[in-house]
Amino acid sequence: MAMTKTAGPVLTNGGVPPFQEGRIKIRVLSKANIAIRLTMLILAVLTIVGFATFNYQGVHLLKGLMSTLANFKTIFFQPQFAHFTLLEAIYQLFITLSLGVLTTLIGAIIALFLGMLAAENLSNKTVSNSIKGFVAVIRAVPTVLWVLIFAVSAGLGSVAAVIGMSFHSISYLTKAYSESFEELNQGTIEALEGCGASWWQIVCQAVLPSSLTSLISWTFIRFEINFGVSVAMGAAAGAGGIGYDMFMDSAFYYNLHEMGVITYLILIVAMLLEFMSIKIKNKVRA
Amino acid sequence: MTTLLQFKNVSKQYGNSTVALSDVNFSVNEGELVSIIGPSGAGKSTLLRCINRLIDATSGEIIFDGADMLKINKKHDLRALRTKIGMIFQNYNLVERLSVFENVLHGRLGYKSALVGALGLYNENEKKQAIKIIQSLGLNEQVYKRCDQLSGGQKQRVGIARALVQEPRVLLADEPIASLDPNSSKVIMDHLKNICTTLGITVLVNLHQLDVALNYSDRIIGISGGRVVYDGLPANLTDEDIRRIYGSDPEALNLIIQKPKEVAQKI
Repeated sequence: MAMTKTAGPVLTNGGVPPFQEGRIKIRVLSKANIAIRLTMLILAVLTIVGFATFNYQGVHLLKGLMSTLANFKTIFFQPQFAHFTLLEAIYQLFITLSLGVLTTLIGAIIALFLGMLAAENLSNKTVSNSIKGFVAVIRAVPTVLWVLIFAVSAGLGSVAAVIGMSFHSISYLTKAYSESFEELNQGTIEALEGCGASWWQIVCQAVLPSSLTSLISWTFIRFEINFGVSVAMGAAAGAGGIGYDMFMDSAFYYNLHEMGVITYLILIVAMLLEFMSIKIKNKVRA
Repeated sequence: MTTLLQFKNVSKQYGNSTVALSDVNFSVNEGELVSIIGPSGAGKSTLLRCINRLIDATSGEIIFDGADMLKINKKHDLRALRTKIGMIFQNYNLVERLSVFENVLHGRLGYKSALVGALGLYNENEKKQAIKIIQSLGLNEQVYKRCDQLSGGQKQRVGIARALVQEPRVLLADEPIASLDPNSSKVIMDHLKNICTTLGITVLVNLHQLDVALNYSDRIIGISGGRVVYDGLPANLTDEDIRRIYGSDPEALNLIIQKPKEVAQKI
């Protein structure tokens, strides 16, 4: 019968014989694929060449590794107080935490307003782009560097740390906030404008309620970052707190036992913060 | 019947080349339900948005309630006039995270000072009025529900409630049933018709469904390429008119047109 006529290759594959030679490929090699493979290859070659041509200068790799592990053993398995008590350590931890809270708070308040101006749906394109560009430049420089830059005028210490950390928090949160604001559908803003609502009414009645969850989680993420940075600032900028004690233990007393205690304390706080952030997020979502 | 809204030689141009509306003239009487039909991109949405100045027309006059909308420059005056114009949308455009009640009360924001409105303070009269409207739209059980828990038809009814709470003179509906199933579509169109006949609010509705337009409207305005190509009663719409509006034959569009008013009379 005419119906049983089989369709030739011309009909199935535009004239090209379909999948006839060799194995069938799952992926077609595209430009992006080739670029990824080349990058991986170059990185692998560089790593091997690097290790082969290091100037070790008399440091024996294996011996060095062993003594590092021995130090880790002292830090993590034999923690012990030497120069201060637990109560004093907790007090210092609170100083570090306060530094984190203060800089996050300053950053959040200023970033809330900057974020509104930077959000394309609440502001005009010129203002939005110039703020976003400015903030991107600030963010590109690490927090520690900003603290050191401000230390030139304020001197090393807590003032430089607060200003520098707030500065970076503002730029980080401005970007995060403005992106949260932009998630609100343009139509909703249009609808409220059509009702005769003013800009502040739209912000307070539509934009903020819609983005509250992400605002809170971004702020908390920044707080976790700021806690970590303020530990480092204690050492690097002399801002005080638990970081300074750690610096003294490692660089002056060379007391690895006490360093272990501090490491554990910081770890506990970090885990508590993580736990709290999950709780807060769940509560706000519900 | 008095004329509520009048378009005089209204044009809208985007950039230098794209013409959305060119030389549009028509008028709408108080208490009419007017459907605006036309293919996608014909300028239907632009036309509606020109009325409440969500889009500024390039030239011409739009006389609403005796005042030329295009001549209003002060923010305060524009807000005051916008309270008289309710609008509902294809995508509802509600604040999804807030409750039905809060969304409906947003319709009152135009009457409030910036601060009072921003804080979300409404007086008891406004709340009572809002509840009454919510009930009349059959949303009693959803008053305190968050809007993201509602179905499409319910969301559109919240949109209507938000517009009605404004106590508008005219209600603009931008493809209100385009994302709804036939049942919900009928409910929404019935509500719009009801608003028009019982509350005396003028309704201007953009539609893609020609049969719905024929059944529900007092008058049809056909738009094609930014121009008004038909303005008249649904009963007088001929095949030739449909061809001019949509650029193809009614048979090709596979339209089954019932006798106009047949459905509307059943309501």
